[in-house]
Amino acid sequence: MADMPAPAAAPATPGKHKIKVPKVVNGFETMVEIEVDDAAGPSWGDRSQMTVLNKRIPRVDGAQKVTGQARYTHDVRLPGMLYGRILPSPYAAAKVTSIDTRAAEAIPGVVVVIDYGNKTLKYQGDPVAAVAAETMEAAEDGIRAIKVTYEPGQHLVDPESAIKDGAPKIYPEGNIRASQKRGDEAAIDQELAGCAAVVEGEFRTPFQHHSSLETHGIVVDYTGGDTATVYASTQSTFSIPGDAAGALGLQASNVVAIVEHMGGGFGSKFGIDLPGNVACALSKKSKRPVHLMLTRADEFLMAGNRSASLVRAKLGASKDGKLVAIKAEQHRLGGLGEGSQRGLPYIYKVPHVFRTMDSIHTNIDSSRAMRGPGSPQASFPIESLLDDLAVKLDIDPIEIRKINTDSETYHRQMDIAAAKVGWATGRNKLPGEGQTGPLKRGMGLGLAEWGGGGGPACQVTVKISPDGGVTVSVGSQDLGTGTRTYTAGIVAEEFGLPITAVTAFIGDSRLGNANGSGGSTTAASLAPAVKDAAYNARVALFQRIAPAMGVKSEALAASNGKIVTDTGKSVTFKQACAMLGTTAVDAKGEWKPGLSDNGVHGVHLAHVEVDTQTGRVKVLQLVGVQDCGLPLNRLTIESQLNGGMLQGMGYGLTEGKVTDRTTGLMLNNNFEEYKLPGCKEVPECIPIIDDADTRGVIGLAEPGTIPTAGAIANAIYNACGVRVRNLPITPDKILDGLAALKGAKGAV
Amino acid sequence: MAFDPTDEETTETSSAGPRLSRRGFLKQAGAIGAATALAPLGLGDQPAEAAEDRDDSKSAVQSGKINLTLNVNKKVRKVTVEPRTTLLATLRDHMKPPLTGTKIVCDRGQCGACTVVLDGHTVYSCMILAADAVGKPITTVEGLAPDTEHLTPVQAAFIEHDALQCGFCTPGFVMSVTSLLAHNPNPTEADVRQACSGNVCRCGTYPKVFEAALDAAKKMKLGRNA
Amino acid sequence: MKAFELAHPTTVAEASRQMAGSSHDINSPRLMGGGQDLLGMMKDYLYTPDRVIDLKRIDGLRGASYNSKSGLKIGALTTITQIAEHKDIQAHFPVLANAALSVASLQIRNVGTVGGNLCQRPRCWYFRNEHIMCLKKGGDRCYAAPENAENKYHAIFGGGPCHIVHPSDLAPALMSLGSVVHVTSSRGGDRAIPIDAFYTLPSQGSIYQETVLKPDEVVTHVTVPVTPVARRSVYIKFREKESFDWSLVSVAMAVDVDGGLVKDCRIVLGGVAQIPWRIPAAEAALKGKSLSNAAVVEAAAQAATKGAVPLSQNGYKVALTQALVRRAAGILAAGKQMASDTGGAEEWIA
Repeated sequence: MADMPAPAAAPATPGKHKIKVPKVVNGFETMVEIEVDDAAGPSWGDRSQMTVLNKRIPRVDGAQKVTGQARYTHDVRLPGMLYGRILPSPYAAAKVTSIDTRAAEAIPGVVVVIDYGNKTLKYQGDPVAAVAAETMEAAEDGIRAIKVTYEPGQHLVDPESAIKDGAPKIYPEGNIRASQKRGDEAAIDQELAGCAAVVEGEFRTPFQHHSSLETHGIVVDYTGGDTATVYASTQSTFSIPGDAAGALGLQASNVVAIVEHMGGGFGSKFGIDLPGNVACALSKKSKRPVHLMLTRADEFLMAGNRSASLVRAKLGASKDGKLVAIKAEQHRLGGLGEGSQRGLPYIYKVPHVFRTMDSIHTNIDSSRAMRGPGSPQASFPIESLLDDLAVKLDIDPIEIRKINTDSETYHRQMDIAAAKVGWATGRNKLPGEGQTGPLKRGMGLGLAEWGGGGGPACQVTVKISPDGGVTVSVGSQDLGTGTRTYTAGIVAEEFGLPITAVTAFIGDSRLGNANGSGGSTTAASLAPAVKDAAYNARVALFQRIAPAMGVKSEALAASNGKIVTDTGKSVTFKQACAMLGTTAVDAKGEWKPGLSDNGVHGVHLAHVEVDTQTGRVKVLQLVGVQDCGLPLNRLTIESQLNGGMLQGMGYGLTEGKVTDRTTGLMLNNNFEEYKLPGCKEVPECIPIIDDADTRGVIGLAEPGTIPTAGAIANAIYNACGVRVRNLPITPDKILDGLAALKGAKGAV
Repeated sequence: MAFDPTDEETTETSSAGPRLSRRGFLKQAGAIGAATALAPLGLGDQPAEAAEDRDDSKSAVQSGKINLTLNVNKKVRKVTVEPRTTLLATLRDHMKPPLTGTKIVCDRGQCGACTVVLDGHTVYSCMILAADAVGKPITTVEGLAPDTEHLTPVQAAFIEHDALQCGFCTPGFVMSVTSLLAHNPNPTEADVRQACSGNVCRCGTYPKVFEAALDAAKKMKLGRNA
Repeated sequence: MKAFELAHPTTVAEASRQMAGSSHDINSPRLMGGGQDLLGMMKDYLYTPDRVIDLKRIDGLRGASYNSKSGLKIGALTTITQIAEHKDIQAHFPVLANAALSVASLQIRNVGTVGGNLCQRPRCWYFRNEHIMCLKKGGDRCYAAPENAENKYHAIFGGGPCHIVHPSDLAPALMSLGSVVHVTSSRGGDRAIPIDAFYTLPSQGSIYQETVLKPDEVVTHVTVPVTPVARRSVYIKFREKESFDWSLVSVAMAVDVDGGLVKDCRIVLGGVAQIPWRIPAAEAALKGKSLSNAAVVEAAAQAATKGAVPLSQNGYKVALTQALVRRAAGILAAGKQMASDTGGAEEWIA
């Protein structure tokens, strides 16, 4: 061993002491003195000193994904496995008067046919029957051979029809439910009358579809007996066993759920859901494993959506830009479901509020959570109205938002976004001002807020083996969110190891409990628990090897692949582990306060170019500034922010369910006419992590998609003066808007 | 039972006759898995069972169950399918072991997740009948790198630049980018966008796919000039 | 897809014979080129043929050849990519190269054929829905017609009663070049059909099809004559989703400019009618005049949409058509061809 410096002085405070550890400084390993506090429990420490976390870490499962080796539920193949298919209702409202499955049963390859028993069909996609067969082709032949007689009913697929007198009742209480009222309408009318500026509008947003590339479904490995394994494309490993057990008639503790990889959820995948229930029913009847993954066409019909919205709102402000009063009529349009919508004025401070809110029901598949449920539907109207006010009062849109939010964080984030794209010169005082030619550029912004906190839910195990192997296990799931990577990264950081030295096992209900990935709560729940387990493992390792190292365990530290003592002794991590003899270290961890936090903001700024001859909206730049406490993995956070912006952009410009009123059918249940942003739509995406936020870990998946549509709508208005209040803002709406402006001018 | 895509039962064209990988041998010996004891995957009791030694690849009329010979990732693979079986379904469901790297997402040629290279060009494997893929070299994502230790520059760049999130669109994008660089080693970002316009990502990896593609192109040029 | 028998004739005559009994019946035999439309129709059960007749083993239907005297001959099985990348087509018939490059996505272009592109069925979402028995499929009404219908993508010309738009990009381009579609039948022999006469309006031919093809006719090749308008020609395809989409409106414009004046021109619109829509009135507005004259171009743009009868949601196509006609004229006036397939003003090449 090399000559080591003299031992450090005895610690002044119990638990707190200094120790020299090897660190890489300017590319060279150097001994650096650090202070450690062993009595403090797990803590993230100084971010700037981190070697793994708060950096751009390539995903640990990247190689599996780029080689096609990653196995998703859709890829699972089991001996004797059958393929399941659902026969969905071809009507938005109908009764089943008869069903004859004999022809289907006779088809070669069809093994079981089930009458779902659903005689009153309430939406296109409502399941009628199901088939399990040896091949996908036979399963399709099977469902098509089922003879069903339907008695079509009167369907309601738009809110206007649903609230008309005499409309059929979808629910006993009628088609309007969950009505709420807040405030005094007359008082608010009076306040508005006294405002220096009042703006109003009717806003509509469509049903947005999650469009996860892997559809919903499971593979249930059940062959009769007491146990089953369910592979699920799910956001929540632990939501599976209980559901599947119920459907199969088993004990939940005898059902294992596996989620090695899953192809996207965005809020739609919890529990075994409808396809899972059908798969279990088919498996129970056939006593064979069943693979049931929805077809894309069915996915659009029965896998949920973000509820649509209809909002009429009036917003008034005083001359200095301070919001005074808002009057809002908000309707959640969730099909058969309640839908969700945040109450206006959403995040802005308005002292006088009158608001009504209700759900209007239609014969459409129920909405369910989608990335930031209820928030984009509220953000779009309020951000649009705020900019309209800003124009009326001749106040800069950033200024007006500063006036009406207290948080310094918003102010800082808006300034960051503005500086990034040259808002001072890029945002027009008046729409398209000073620009010649048909192409007009403009800028607009919007704000977000979210919780993203976590709590006790996860039970993590970290194992250190005598051969130097380090594993971390927890039953959590990685949706593409990077969970597997930061899980390994936190442990690596704790031990001063590169991330490649740690293997993370997730996605298995036999591992420690974990919460579902909803509400952006995963990181804030899991990361502290992983940290706690890693900390406990390190403490245990040190206690075990201290005697062999000739020191007390408090005198050890791990850094840069080595374990060092404060007396200057140094061994490699592997050598240290060898001192464990034959017994591994097996440490548990759970959520501890102080490592995570709650409550994030977010600012989106859009820079667009509108072709006023064709109506084309080209998004040039999208900036997304986001606070998220400690950034565990800056690389995957950037990706999350990009992804949120692009989903928000799709919501604003190209996406929306189209349902035909006459037939009640969805017309665009495919990727041809349900238009997800593609390569040529992608702007320069500028994700910015707000590093001024020094709090613990906070989730960020959802805020990053909330304000995009509003920002884009504002930018479009700033570019060409067309205010579109119903999404998506497709070229036809721009052209119609420009024509209306011209007509209005011409009328003078 | 996990299927390892490198575990193959293939009939190599070498004169030494069929060659089994070591895992394949063990599998047949019953040491791992029990596939041999069960009915072959993907086949039901069909009335017109295809005779095992018949090759229908060149038949003038194909119907019922047909035996086809395909060239997949430089290996000769024999499959038994129907005329209506797409190349995608063949890869995923009718090969032993199945090649599930190529994904099914829309099954309508609208999203690119099923992209493979057929006879040197990217195609939607869901819109190609297996019968029409006979006689043309097929490359799937599994055929790009021998193992995860020897990734291609495109694959490595995808990881480095995080051009993947959930990963379900990734094989399709990797194939499109790989094929682009084979045709055009000096693409601009516009060229990358154009070549990948038939590939959809819902997680929003596009900006990083473009970065990865351009970086891979740069590295491949350096590699060639080295 | 329903199970089917897949036949691989090796001659066109044999393919034609096998198609002798074909009709609009859902189980009728169907021809397959690249299959990029056919397979979609079959997966959605709009076609359930008992037999599919694959053309790909027939020799002599592939490839495009150019000759400065006789022009272009394009085999029906030539892929769209082959058209887009063909150096002679790029040089001498840029509108066609533009149009080919704008089709769908690379993966489709690599497999889709010229014959298939010309003969493809409409994309109308009522037509493409198995559960909706629209006029074109033998039903009693067009579902795009009503006031409350979803018809933003539908026709503004053609007079109905079916309001589909023809989805082909190659067709307007080929029509602007005065192309001829060559077909053959084992019973009826060969026909050389000028592309202007290849497509039928719903009120003219059989509602069940968009072309004049007889049941057993097979498209063998397309010829494009040497024509002075070809050299200065452009195809602009304006899509809602630029990456991969059908056109909202497209314009194929081909002009012969002599001494600064338009000697001859052909303008054909896509996305506005049941057939590629040639607009003689707009052509007349340009003839004998200068493309650089804004008033002239404006007259042509206005003439282009004269007689348009929009449905409840597609009135914007009038303004869009005019914009694209102006833009195409501007591109050609500048003596440039568009390298890109977008409707934007970017990416010009000399």
